[in-house]
Amino acid sequence: MPELTSSGPTSPGRPAAPERIVVVGYGPVGARFVDEILPLVEAGLAELTVVGAEAVHAYNRVLLADYAVGHTDRDTLDLTDGGRAMAAGARILTGTTVTSVNRTIRTVSLSDGSTLPYDRLVLATGARANVPTLDGVKRVRRAVMKPGTDAAGLDAAALDWADAPLPRGVSALRDLADAAVVLAAVQAGRRIVVLGAGVLGMEIALAAAAGGAQVCVVYHGEIPMNRNLDRGGGSVLTRAARRAGVTMVNHARAESVLFQHDDDGVERFEALICADGKQISGDLLLLSCGVGARTELAHLAGLPVSTGILVDESLQSWADTAIHAIGDCAHVAARPADADLGAAWNGARMAPAGGPSGLIGPGWRQADSLAARFSAEIRAGVAGTATASPASAALVESVAAGVTPAGPAPVASIQAPNVAAGPGASVVMLKAEGIDVVAAGDTAADPFDVDDSAHAHGCGTGAPAPLAVAQWAVPEHGRYVKMVTRGGILTGFVCVGMPRTGAELTLLFERGSELPADRSVLLRFDGPDYDPASAGDAFAPESTVCWCNGVTVEAITASAHAGNDTVACIGSATRAGTGCGGCKGRIGEVLERVAAQPVA
Amino acid sequence: MNPSPDLDKLDQRVSTSSTSDTKGTTVNPVDTHCPYCALQCAMTLTPAATPGRPTDAISLPVSIAGRAFPTNRGGLCKKGWTAAELLDSADRIREPMRRRPDGSFAPVSWAEALDLVAEKLLAGRAEHGADSVGVFGGGGLTNEKAYQLGKFTRLALGSSRIDYNGRFCMSSAAAAGNRAFGLDRGLPFRVEDLDAADTILMLGSNVAQTMPPFIGHLDGARQAGGLIVVDPRRTATARLTDDGAGMHVQPAPGTDLVLLLGLTHLVLAERLADTDYLARRTTGLTQLRLSVAGWYPHRVQEHTGVPVWQLRELARRLAAGRGSYILTGRGVEQHVDGTDTATAAINLALVLGLVGTTHSGYGTLTGQGNGQGGREHGQKCDQLPGYRKITDPAARAHVAGVWGVDPAVIPGAGIPAVELLGALGRPGGIRTLLVHGANVVVSAPDADSVRRGLKNLDFLVVCDFFFSETAALADVVLPVTQWAEEEGTMTSLEGRVIRRRRAIDPPAGVRSELWIFQELARRLDAPGVYSAEPGEVFDELCRASAGGVADYSGLDYALLDTGEPAYWPYPVGSTGTPRLFLDRFAHDDGRARIVAVTPRAVPAPAQTQGALTLITGRLLEHYQSGAQTRRVPELSGAQPEARMQVHPATAVGLGVIDGGWVELTNERGVVRCRAQLSTDIRPDTVFLPFHFPADQRANLLTAAATDPISGMPEFKRTAVRVRAIAAPGRPATDHERVMADA
Repeated sequence: MPELTSSGPTSPGRPAAPERIVVVGYGPVGARFVDEILPLVEAGLAELTVVGAEAVHAYNRVLLADYAVGHTDRDTLDLTDGGRAMAAGARILTGTTVTSVNRTIRTVSLSDGSTLPYDRLVLATGARANVPTLDGVKRVRRAVMKPGTDAAGLDAAALDWADAPLPRGVSALRDLADAAVVLAAVQAGRRIVVLGAGVLGMEIALAAAAGGAQVCVVYHGEIPMNRNLDRGGGSVLTRAARRAGVTMVNHARAESVLFQHDDDGVERFEALICADGKQISGDLLLLSCGVGARTELAHLAGLPVSTGILVDESLQSWADTAIHAIGDCAHVAARPADADLGAAWNGARMAPAGGPSGLIGPGWRQADSLAARFSAEIRAGVAGTATASPASAALVESVAAGVTPAGPAPVASIQAPNVAAGPGASVVMLKAEGIDVVAAGDTAADPFDVDDSAHAHGCGTGAPAPLAVAQWAVPEHGRYVKMVTRGGILTGFVCVGMPRTGAELTLLFERGSELPADRSVLLRFDGPDYDPASAGDAFAPESTVCWCNGVTVEAITASAHAGNDTVACIGSATRAGTGCGGCKGRIGEVLERVAAQPVA
Repeated sequence: MNPSPDLDKLDQRVSTSSTSDTKGTTVNPVDTHCPYCALQCAMTLTPAATPGRPTDAISLPVSIAGRAFPTNRGGLCKKGWTAAELLDSADRIREPMRRRPDGSFAPVSWAEALDLVAEKLLAGRAEHGADSVGVFGGGGLTNEKAYQLGKFTRLALGSSRIDYNGRFCMSSAAAAGNRAFGLDRGLPFRVEDLDAADTILMLGSNVAQTMPPFIGHLDGARQAGGLIVVDPRRTATARLTDDGAGMHVQPAPGTDLVLLLGLTHLVLAERLADTDYLARRTTGLTQLRLSVAGWYPHRVQEHTGVPVWQLRELARRLAAGRGSYILTGRGVEQHVDGTDTATAAINLALVLGLVGTTHSGYGTLTGQGNGQGGREHGQKCDQLPGYRKITDPAARAHVAGVWGVDPAVIPGAGIPAVELLGALGRPGGIRTLLVHGANVVVSAPDADSVRRGLKNLDFLVVCDFFFSETAALADVVLPVTQWAEEEGTMTSLEGRVIRRRRAIDPPAGVRSELWIFQELARRLDAPGVYSAEPGEVFDELCRASAGGVADYSGLDYALLDTGEPAYWPYPVGSTGTPRLFLDRFAHDDGRARIVAVTPRAVPAPAQTQGALTLITGRLLEHYQSGAQTRRVPELSGAQPEARMQVHPATAVGLGVIDGGWVELTNERGVVRCRAQLSTDIRPDTVFLPFHFPADQRANLLTAAATDPISGMPEFKRTAVRVRAIAAPGRPATDHERVMADA
C-alpha cells in the first residue's frame, strides 16, 4: 500500500516501482490521455489501467451526427483499438464502471466487485445529455445524493448510467446506441423534432435534413446557437437552415410530450407541446439540451464539484493531489487559497468561471498537458534515483529546458488557447456541409455600444485595452461577420456564410493575433481577390506570360513594337515561349492586341 | 599556357556525338543537359570554334540550344538559356588559390596546393583522429563525383564524417519513400506520365519558378480543371490554377501535415478509399484509420485555415480522377516533421490506390541537378553506393569487394549535415573540412553559426568555380570544371540516368574533382584506386551498385550514349524500370507500409507587433545559393537583391511600403532588405528567397532544428519580427558582401 504523503504522489528518490495510474472513462479524452502516457508505460515507469463503461474502445463522439445520418461508417469513428496500449501492458477494462473512490487508501471499486489501487487517478468521465423537464419524461434527481467515502446503498455506477429509460420515440444523441435510433429515423425519412438549437442540435438537424428526414428545430430563445452567436449571426443561420429545409421554431418553451400507443400498447412519442399551446408532431423527439458533467463519482468521494469536478490549472483536484480530471467532466478554475476544501465543499458559492466547454479540442489539450506533466514528474522521480538511465535523464533535462526532445515527446498543446480572450474561450464551429458558421469568444458588443472615451483611458492606467467591434451583414446572401478586438487583438468573432474568412479568423483568434487595421481585408478572402475565376487582367502590362523565362505582357508588347510580329520572332528576341511552350497561345493573343492598337 | 600532363589525358575524352580535331578540342555541337535543376532539360552546346555557329552569341564559349527530350520538349528556362555566361565569367577562379596571412588570396600551383591540402589532411587526422576531417558534398555533383567523394572520404580520409546539401533538399521525402515503399526514387514513374492525368495535387512546390519547363506536364490536368496547388503563397504555380484550371489551397505555414491527415480522414470517412487496393497492396490501414479519426474537417480548418468545403472538394476530386498524382516539394518537406509530412502525403496516395499504377502515383520533385543520383552513391552519411546502408554487413562486404579493401576499413555511419556543420571548429568536432559543390554559408540553416564554425576550422578546402561565400572563407580554393567542360552522368528527377558531355576545354588551370581525388589519394597513400576517367568511375559505380536498391549495373556510357531511356533499377540483363511498383513494392513482402503519423505541437506565434512566420524559397532567376546565377548579368539584373514578400494589410500595420526597407530579426540573426507588397501571400506570413548573400541571407534567421528521422532542417516555419527601417546607405555590391563575409 502506498504511503500517504502530503506533497503529492511522487517523491523524488523513492524506489522506481512503476507508478500506478488509473483512468476512469475511455471516451475520446481518456483515450487521448492513454496515447500520450503510453511511452511511460512502454518504458516500464507506469502501470496503466483504463476503466470504460461503454463496451467498445474509444470513438470520436464529434462525428456521431455524421454517423447517425449515414454520412460515414462506424469504423471512421474509432480513435483506438487499444492495441498499442495493451501491447505495452496497459489494462483496458471496457464495459466496466467505477463505483466508488476510496481516497484514504487510494483505491477504486469496480462494478465487477474488484478494487484497484492507484497512485494517480485521472477522471475522464465525460458528460451525459441533459434531459429537460418535460411532462411525460422521467428524470433522475441526482441532486439528492450525499457525498461520503462510504456511500453504502448509493450505487454511483447505477446513478451514473441508469438514466431513467427514455420513452420510445425520444432520444438524445450521445452514444452509438442513440446514433442507431437516429439513423433508423433518417433512413426511413421520418419526421424528427429536435429540441434545442445549440451547435449539436443544429448539426444533427441539418445533417438529418440533408439525409432525407423532415426536421423541425424547437428552441427557447430568439436565435439558434445563442450561447455562441450574436443576433446577426443567429438570424443569418436561421435563414440558411430554413433554406436547407429545416423548420425553425423559436421562442418555444417545451412543456410536455404527447404519446400515442402502439398496437402492442407501448407508448411512443407523438408530439411536443409548447407553453403557448403549439403542438409539434413527429416520429422522433431528439433531445439536444446540452450536456452535464458526470461528477457523481467525484461528488461521492467528497471532491469539490461545481459544473464539473473542480481542478486547478494543472488539472489537479482542489482537494486531492492524487486525483485529476480532464475533458467534459472537468471544471478548471484557480484553487481558492482560503476556501474550506474537501467534503465541506457543497457548491454554495457561485460557480467559478471555466466550466467544461463541451468541446473536444480543449479536452484533448488537457489530456496532452496532463500526460506531459505526469511524464515529466515520473521521469524526474526516476532520474533522481541511482538507477536513472542516461536517456531519461536527457529527457528530463530537455523538458526542464523547455526543449522538445526528439521522438515521441510529451506535447503540451498543438495550439495555445487565446490568452487575451480569457480562459475557456474556444472556437465553436457548426459542422454542416454548405453552411459555414464559426464563432468564438464574447461577441455581445455591437459597433456603437463601444465607449469611445475608452481610448482616453489609454495605456499605463491599468484600464483594459479598448474594445472595438467591426460588423458586416448581408442577410440577403447569407453572409455575416462580426469581429471584436481588444487593443487590436481578436477576442471574439462570429462568421456565417464566409468560409475562408471564418477559417482565417479562427487562426487569428487561436493565436491571439492582431487584426489588420483595415478589417475588410479579411472579408476579401471570400471575395473576388481570392477567387481564381476572376483573377486580374491577363493582359495587364506587368502580367507574366512566359513563366519559364519571366517575360511580361509589357516586354512582349515592346518587342512587338520593335518589329517582332510573330510568336517565333518574339521567342528569339525575348525567349518567351521557349520554355515549356505552354504560353505560345497567349503570346499570339498579345500580338493580336498589339496589332489591333494604333501605334502611339 | 601549356596544359598539364594530367589535363592532356583528360582532353582525349570526347563525347561520342562529337568529333575531335587532332589537338583534342571538340568543335561540333554536343548533346548534354542543363547544369541546374533536376529536370535536366536537354540542350545542345555549340562551341565558339564551330563553323557555321550563329554569330549572336559569339562572345560566349558555347551557344546553347534546347533539345527535344521528354522533360523539356526542346524548351529551356531563363537560367538554362544563360548558363553559358558562367563559363568565361570574369569571376571564374582559374588557378588554385591560397589564403595569405593578410586574408587575401594568391594563386599557387596545383602541386603546391595539393601538397598543402594533403599535408593538412594528414596532420589533422594524426592529431585529432580521422573523424576530425569532414567532407560536405552537393547534389549538383555528377554521379561519378558523388560516388568518388564517398569512396575518397571513407578510404582515403578514413572518415565517417561526410554528408551533403541534399540533406536540406530531398532527405525528408527520401526517408518517407524508403519507409513506405522500401525504395526512394523521386518520381517512381516517367515525367510524361503526368500528361495524361486529370488531377495533380502539388504540395509545396513552385515548379513554375523552380523548374519552369515542367509546367508543360501539368497541361492535361489544367485542361481537366484538376490542378490543385497547396501553398501559403499564391505563387506562379498557384496561378496556373486560375480560370477554371483547378484550385489553390492556401494553408497557414507549417500546417501541411494536419491538412494531409484531414484529407485522409475525408477519403476514409466519405468512403472514397480504394479498399481492394489497400487490402492487396498495403499494410497498416487500421492504425492509419485510428490516427486520422480525430482529424475531422472542421478541426482541420481550425488548424490550417483551409475551409471545410475546400477540403471536401479536394478529397473528392482526388478520388474521382481517372488519373491522379500527388507530388510533394520542399514546401511540405523542409520541416522538422518533414518526413512525417511526406509520409502523410504518401498515405493519402495509398488510401486512394494511386501508387504503383500506370495512370496515377505519388512522387517528390527532386530539386538539385543530380539530387537523385547524388543521394544514391555514398555522399550520405549512412550510405554506400547503390543506396545501400553503411551499417549492413552484406552491403559493406560487397562494396569493399569492389573497392578492393577489407570491409573493416570502411567507417560506420557518420552524422547528417546540420549536425556535421554544428560540429565545425568545436573541440572533438570537425577540424578540417572539404566542401564540394555547396555554399553552406548561404544555404545552411542558422547560417551565421555555420560561418563562425567555418572560421574556427583548422583548415578549409573548397572546390568551386567562383569565390562563393563559402569559398571566400577557405584556406585553399581549388578551381573545378563546369558542366560544359566535363563528362559524366546525372540521374534526373524521374530516376533516368543521362549523360553530361564535354563541349569545350576548361580553362587551363582548372581541374576536375576526379583528378583532384586521384592526386590527393596518391599523396595520402590511400587504399583503393581512384580513376580520373569519368567512364571508368561510372563502370566502378555500376559494379558497386549491383544488387543494391539503386542498381545501375546494366548501364555504361555506350548504352547511355544511344539516348535509350535508362531508368534505375537497371540491373545487368534488364532494360530498366520506367515505372516502379507496378507489381510489388520494394519491401520483402511486396507491400507498401502505411505508417500512421501524428503532428507534433509547434505553437504558432501570435501575430502581433510584427511577429510573423517566415518561409524561405526560390525565384525563377536564381538557383540554390545564387553563387552561379548571381553572376549572370541577365539574371541578377532581373533579381538583384532579396525582397521580403508581405501582404499589404500586414505592411500597413507595420508602416512598411512597397520597395521600402525592412528588418527581419529573431534570436539568430538580422536580415535587411526591401519589401515587396503582394496579396499573393497570407497576412500572417512573409517570404524571403534564400539566394542572396551577406545580410540578405534568409538563413541567418532559420534554425538548425532538424527532423529526427531525415535530419532535414526547418526552413518553412521561422518566427521573425519585422519592422520598417530607414534606407541603409548604398547597397553593398555582391563582391563587397562576399569580402565582408570573409
